[in-house]
Amino acid sequence: MANYTKKFEELSSGDRALVGGKCASLGEMVQAGLPVPAGFAVTVDAYEDFRDTGDLRQRLLGIVMGADASSNAGLQRAHDEAVALILGRNLASAIEQQIREAYLELSRETALRRGAGDADRIPVAVRSSSTDEDGDAASFAGQQETYLWVVGADEVIAKVRECWASLYTPQAIAYRSGMSATDAAEASKISVAVQLMAHADVAGVTFTVSPRTGDRSLIAINASWGLGQAVVSGEVTPDEYWLSKIGPAVTSSRIASKAHEYVPDPSGVGVVFRDVEESRREIPCLTEAELVQLAEIGLQVERHYGSPQDIEWALEHNVDGTSQVMLLQARPETNWKKRKEEKGKNTSSATAGLLGFLSQATKGNDK
Amino acid sequence: MTTTDNARDGVPISTPLPQAPELRSFPDPYDLETPAGAEGWEEMYAYHNRFLESRRAEDSAKTWFRNSLHYPEVSYPFDQVTIDGAFTGTGVTNTRIFALPPAKGLDVRVINGYTYMSAIPSPDQEEQARRAVEFSKRAGYYFQNWDALYGEWETRVTVAIRGVHDLEVPPLSEFEPIERVLEDRGPSQGNQLLASYHRLLEYIDQIWTLHSEFLNLGYTAYLQFLTLCKEHFPEIDDQTISRMVSGVDVLLFRPDDELRALARKAEELGVGDIVRAASTEADLNSGLGETDAGREWLAALEESKDPWFYFSYGSGMYHSHRSWIDDLSLPIQAIGDYIARLRTGDELSRPIKKLQTERDELVAHYRSLLDDEDVSAFDEALGLSRTVFPYVENHNFYVEHWFLTNFWNKAREFSRLLQKWGFWDDVEDIFFLRRAEVEEAIVDLQMAWAAGGKAQGGHYWPGIIARRKEIYSTLTEWSPPPALGPVPDEINEPLTIMLWGITPETVERWLAAQNGDSSNNTLTGFAGSPGIAEGPARVVLRPDQLDTVQEGEILVAPVTSPSWTPVFGRIRGAVSDIGGIMCHAAIVSREYGLPAVVGTGFGTSTIKTGQMIRVDGNAGTVTILDGI
Repeated sequence: MANYTKKFEELSSGDRALVGGKCASLGEMVQAGLPVPAGFAVTVDAYEDFRDTGDLRQRLLGIVMGADASSNAGLQRAHDEAVALILGRNLASAIEQQIREAYLELSRETALRRGAGDADRIPVAVRSSSTDEDGDAASFAGQQETYLWVVGADEVIAKVRECWASLYTPQAIAYRSGMSATDAAEASKISVAVQLMAHADVAGVTFTVSPRTGDRSLIAINASWGLGQAVVSGEVTPDEYWLSKIGPAVTSSRIASKAHEYVPDPSGVGVVFRDVEESRREIPCLTEAELVQLAEIGLQVERHYGSPQDIEWALEHNVDGTSQVMLLQARPETNWKKRKEEKGKNTSSATAGLLGFLSQATKGNDK
Repeated sequence: MTTTDNARDGVPISTPLPQAPELRSFPDPYDLETPAGAEGWEEMYAYHNRFLESRRAEDSAKTWFRNSLHYPEVSYPFDQVTIDGAFTGTGVTNTRIFALPPAKGLDVRVINGYTYMSAIPSPDQEEQARRAVEFSKRAGYYFQNWDALYGEWETRVTVAIRGVHDLEVPPLSEFEPIERVLEDRGPSQGNQLLASYHRLLEYIDQIWTLHSEFLNLGYTAYLQFLTLCKEHFPEIDDQTISRMVSGVDVLLFRPDDELRALARKAEELGVGDIVRAASTEADLNSGLGETDAGREWLAALEESKDPWFYFSYGSGMYHSHRSWIDDLSLPIQAIGDYIARLRTGDELSRPIKKLQTERDELVAHYRSLLDDEDVSAFDEALGLSRTVFPYVENHNFYVEHWFLTNFWNKAREFSRLLQKWGFWDDVEDIFFLRRAEVEEAIVDLQMAWAAGGKAQGGHYWPGIIARRKEIYSTLTEWSPPPALGPVPDEINEPLTIMLWGITPETVERWLAAQNGDSSNNTLTGFAGSPGIAEGPARVVLRPDQLDTVQEGEILVAPVTSPSWTPVFGRIRGAVSDIGGIMCHAAIVSREYGLPAVVGTGFGTSTIKTGQMIRVDGNAGTVTILDGI
């Protein structure tokens, strides 16, 4: 029997064909020692074996190949038909059972560590993980789905199937309808990532380059209470911390008044936006040790990807008093290249002139 | 966690100063009033140092910056030789020797005893191009042969120092030596006295040309590395850049190292208790002269003295600063302190290896952040900076300390002769005469000695000297503005910015202070050495007030001198009025791990001794915590 699930720590970048780009990259981050939230991949095999049940594969191919890519209505019909097929068919019990077990193991371990939550209903995110070489581009095209705050094994399994169904959006059908049958089959392989939702007390963003000047020797950290949305969306003014990469060491900080935060809804599903109590508003939301830890993780991510990064993270506190950072997302910070091209604009013409004379003299005019 | 922000002083940037409705001008030099009681101060300085009425239109139109970095005190009339000499040295090196294309020298004026300077306008494009051809040949030769030329320079400077030390002041004996009649029939002692005085002046002029010889080439090379670092790392601070370049074993630390070595030697020889109990050289001699071990230690002390005790208590620029060699009380006390530290198990060794490793790690770190295509330019600029830096770091010991100590003491020898002939009572009085006036006095003495009569000097100088002492003391109470004349449109001459720390921001600060906008309980300067300290302030305006510094105080001084290093073992932090990026207070503070804020502008005039202050060497701020 095939393995339909793989924990992230069992994966590496070589497993793209088996678990898609997103899961492979999460596995790679775990291998590199980066603290991504725990989770598992529902492998490509799960979907392949699912669609090899009965005539499903044939029928789906027929829908795609028969679609009129020039007609919105036609594409929409093809979409409705394919989704109904995928959500309507029975899932082989081996597949269903493995997903269920993987989720429950994750959920129970997490509840134990946190010392809170319904052990069988810890919230997770369920996301498509495309096997496309250009998997990231696929996500821009809306060919992939993300479901947040999914709780309970049944719900997880349902969302996995919805991710599979997301292969058949009207745009995706239009895209594949022009391909050969083999290419279209290849392009419709899919894996799904099931990953813990961070249960953050503090969350924020780390830049491994100064966003104000492009200085690569600095790290900037913005952080506020609660889940990360508040910082990312700009709904609160976060604390601002600056560190030198040497050390790393905190060089300066500006503590903001943090009046609001997002926290997980007590129901276990979704978030609520609430006032921060007075006593926590004016104090730093991170300790110096936590800042250094975040900076070190940021440096690890930068080294891993080979360029400055913009990293979303959350900090969870465990029941035993320890805390752990969870990386939610890392993107290349793209502005620094542009600023690098502008380097020198702060050097006055007087200085540039003098240094020009200097380099003429040092280049040795050999008299 | 505190709210801090690193002070960043400029990559030399060309920022047009923003227009504001308030007064955009510093006082006109011609409108400054003479402080009551200082009338006639002008006679203390040569005409070429003064603002002349008939040149008003021209000189009022220029901006004059006070050179408080090098000349924070009121000039003594004779001491103006070092000021004029230094500007002559810079001028001739830039303008005539190397033909530095964009910068010439500076005009120098004294007003109410304080020195102001104004840069000669930068040459136009055509002249710069002409100068560039010469500069390439001349500076190129220096850069290509730097180490050899620097070695040769050390020899030339040492010869000049020995020369001034050995310069003979003729005794003016009753009869000329018999050899003059029987053998050489050369110039008389009277002739020689004047020649010897001229030779002294030659030495001081020469030493300033030597001082400037590598200076702007060295600073320009350093500027290249500084600019490159700031282009790649726009938020890097100056001290980090200088740490990548600086040597760990510079001459300015050597005198203090000698004291530590003497402390160790005293313990090895078992004479530590006697040395600790001593406070004067006489105590040492009487306590140690009787035993072999004692004499061995005294011999080691003698060995250290030359040249390492030719170390000024101040910048060396004023005769009044004196040096360790003139008054051993500070070194003796410091050796005693070091003996006490040895007994508590302190090794007293400077962690040279560790400093070297830290420096290498710092370089490796920044280098690793560069893209591959930028690494070779970084390595070249760093290499050149490190080539020039021994001069940048060490010339100060040779010139300001070792040479000037000998120079002032040689002037005292002339003074003693004049004193013997009744010109004045106090050897120090000679410094209240201008250089040309000393020549007049010598001519007077020459004539009187030759004739066998009595000199006129004793009837003439004492009254003038007494009056000048009153004027001098009145002028010390006057607060000189940091700048005079119109606010410049832009400040972008890179060497001005680097050497004097004058940036568009400092000019704005001065204007704000002049217009009463600045907060008077917080001062802003440059973050000279990291850390935060609180403690009672001790304002030390002059080196002779140094012994008032108590354990645990924060030193507040116009500018500090490397010879104060041993005092840094006693204080908790340091604040200076003045400080560019090569500032000694910052270097020594980092060495001792003390927080320091340098270049505050108004530290000594705002802070009072005894006030509790906080020095934030990370942010570059000084806060007065209580009012008095």
